[in-house]
Amino acid sequence: MNRRSLLAVALATPTALPLLAASPARAEMDINQAASFIDSTGQELVAALNSNQPIAARRQRVAQILRNAVDVGGVGRFILGRWWRVATPAEQQEYMKLFEETLIRNLSARFGEYQGVRFSLGRAQQRTEDDVLVNTIIERPNTAPFSLDWRVSDVGGRPQVVDVIAEGTSLRLTQRSEYSSVVSRNGGQVSALLDAMRRQIAALAAREGR
Amino acid sequence: MPFLRRPTLLLLGLLALSACATRPPASEPEALAEYEQANDPLEPFNRTMYTVHNGLDTVLLRPAAEFYRFFLPQPVRTGVRNALGNLRSPVILINDVLQGETRRSATTLARFLMNSTFGIGGVFDVAKEVGLPGHSEDFGQTLAVWGLDEGPFLFVPLLGPSNPRDLAGFGVDVAADPVGWAIREGDSTAEALGWTRYGLTVVDTREGLIEALDSINETSLDPYATLRSAYRQRRRNDVRNGRPTGEAPAATLGTGLDVTEPAGPAR
Repeated sequence: MNRRSLLAVALATPTALPLLAASPARAEMDINQAASFIDSTGQELVAALNSNQPIAARRQRVAQILRNAVDVGGVGRFILGRWWRVATPAEQQEYMKLFEETLIRNLSARFGEYQGVRFSLGRAQQRTEDDVLVNTIIERPNTAPFSLDWRVSDVGGRPQVVDVIAEGTSLRLTQRSEYSSVVSRNGGQVSALLDAMRRQIAALAAREGR
Repeated sequence: MPFLRRPTLLLLGLLALSACATRPPASEPEALAEYEQANDPLEPFNRTMYTVHNGLDTVLLRPAAEFYRFFLPQPVRTGVRNALGNLRSPVILINDVLQGETRRSATTLARFLMNSTFGIGGVFDVAKEVGLPGHSEDFGQTLAVWGLDEGPFLFVPLLGPSNPRDLAGFGVDVAADPVGWAIREGDSTAEALGWTRYGLTVVDTREGLIEALDSINETSLDPYATLRSAYRQRRRNDVRNGRPTGEAPAATLGTGLDVTEPAGPAR
């Protein structure tokens, strides 16, 4: 290391250290960054949904976009809630796999309905320091336009979708309620939820062919 | 409200017959938190009512909505929806005023006057075209703004998810509806029109929900739990008129004297 770069390090250290110390605790989400992230992800998704590639290829593309844009691990754990710790490591792993598959299949089973979908960006607002809500208006042919809010957080240094909100109804809260109810009503067995998820994925996959 | 008395008695009787959900002990804080989040101590009863409702919906409501959609073209259905909305605006206005929402009261009044005249009896929503979109409001929301708690979740056959506050609010709205009075004071033609209005309201509402409910029934692993959670969140949002509140929605339901309305154009 030469003297110049040593000097640079020495000068930078006092300012860089507090920044480093602060970053893991408070990953601030910039409002414009969140909005442009939703815009670009949305464009990618719309392009994939409207493409005339075969269904399997479109599903793969959608899966790729979702894995990139959604904090699948975080959302999945949030939704399983208190049952996460009840689940065995094998069940946790299986749950994550099924959760991601459900997310993708729920979209791919509806490719037909999403033909011609368009969206426009509404206003974005800071919810908390590390949380931005980006509004979009979704338009489909022959359907009244509706508003969706995307909650964007900084996860591991990049913006990620952590929730979708329609008319004040949070998808992750609703789904947590649903999954928890399935586990509770089956005597606290997480395996019962996994069975139900597998059946649902099979049903969605069957629908996709139509 | 004499018409409410008998169903209410019946409801209470059924309640007495059915078991209640067991409250988890304090030693299980997470289970307890979830129990309180669900707000459904009458769950076994509610699930029975949900099954009853689903039966009625399958043989009655959904087919009626499908027929309606099949036989009437979209422009006619839009006209019907607009007209029904216009007939509801006096009730919306009353609730806007009771909640101290000055701007929204003015919007509702302006909409009613414009749509009843230029919109030919409300068939055309001309007010929306000039930048005055409609909103809904009901006495359940007014009670919430006044600080009344929702009470335990209830599933009412034909009416759907509710709670004592919203159910009472529904009764008050029906009783206080000026259009309803006019109909009750009128002759047999007025009475027939009144029933037509109720019938169309039911069919129009169910028609608007076909896709949403189909999707819940197809994709939810427990549609009852999904509806319960969605209803509660949606109502909280409606009570706040869509304004964000951070993480503690209940805390904002204060005096009802609203000072936080943004100065931007009316939504």
